[in-house]
Amino acid sequence: MLEPILQDFLDKWVYPTGFSGPGAEFRLKETKRFIPVWNNVVIGALHKANEQLNSENEDWKRNGALGGYSGEGPHMSIKQMSTQLLSVSIPQQAKYIDLQRMRARQVWDEVKHGSLHADILLRGGWIKKETELLDDPRAANQGDPAYFGLTAMVPHIHPLSRAGQNYLEEAVACLRLNAVLSVMEDPLVRHESDSQLLEEMMHFIEGKYQIDAYALTPEDQEPIKAVFDYLLRPWGRSAAHAKEAEHAKK
Amino acid sequence: MATQSKQVPLFIDHEMCTECRMCYVVCREIDINAVVIAPEAQHLYEIDERCIYPGCTVCLMYCPAPGSIVETSTGRSLVPPPPDVHTDELKWPRKAPKS
Repeated sequence: MLEPILQDFLDKWVYPTGFSGPGAEFRLKETKRFIPVWNNVVIGALHKANEQLNSENEDWKRNGALGGYSGEGPHMSIKQMSTQLLSVSIPQQAKYIDLQRMRARQVWDEVKHGSLHADILLRGGWIKKETELLDDPRAANQGDPAYFGLTAMVPHIHPLSRAGQNYLEEAVACLRLNAVLSVMEDPLVRHESDSQLLEEMMHFIEGKYQIDAYALTPEDQEPIKAVFDYLLRPWGRSAAHAKEAEHAKK
Repeated sequence: MATQSKQVPLFIDHEMCTECRMCYVVCREIDINAVVIAPEAQHLYEIDERCIYPGCTVCLMYCPAPGSIVETSTGRSLVPPPPDVHTDELKWPRKAPKS
């Protein structure tokens, strides 16, 4: 049984496609593998949000913003994401110019999201200056394998690998944000989720479009499928994501 | 919101649009080129008379911002796309290039 938040997302954003052909067919076929994962994301996010609502203190707000900063702050958004622009080689430039522009847009979006999480911490009184976060391991460390495509360790990765990552993982982000917004009324928390949702939607759509429009041959699809295979392994996503799967089993 | 020509079947609601330029990319990809950068400062996107909606609905499938593309004749939002605009007949064929 699919969570209503997921079914709504699938019907409105995943299934509608502007193209017929091998790219869209490949994406929709692969999507069937993600539905249980996405369903677990929603269940886990709702469970976590309800736990937080019943918490005796507000540490979870601070911890959420710290985790957000580690995922979207300067070490990720400026440094590591920028290497993705280098993954388009000179011969591929004409083919992937729009892909690079979308990536460049995402770098800027993630810069803003890093600022957003810092803003939450400042408004909540947990820090006095953003620079404190750069020495805080909770905020300046990103070990989530699901973000591998953003790391400077793998700038050689095929341009379309990131499309796979965008599609699968940004859907996770959107579903999680929608789940939080469905139960949270706290203005600071809603601000943190609301202010980034449309941009995370764009990052998801970026992946969807690039697969539908560009992944037309087995050679184009192979690196995307490799990303999907990687991210669906138990160790392909962080411990936090593994917890979601645990919650969903209960 | 800018005054909308009656000849253009769709328009962009700038209060909802996030200027992600997906519509611009898609429309150019299929050689319709109906999404343009408005002449005013701010680099906003507009749809012009080259738009062939309802004969084409591709931009609607890749717009991430609810409410941002609107049907001129009715004022109804087409994002997310209602079922009557994402039929199989309206999909643009996308084939692998010949090797």
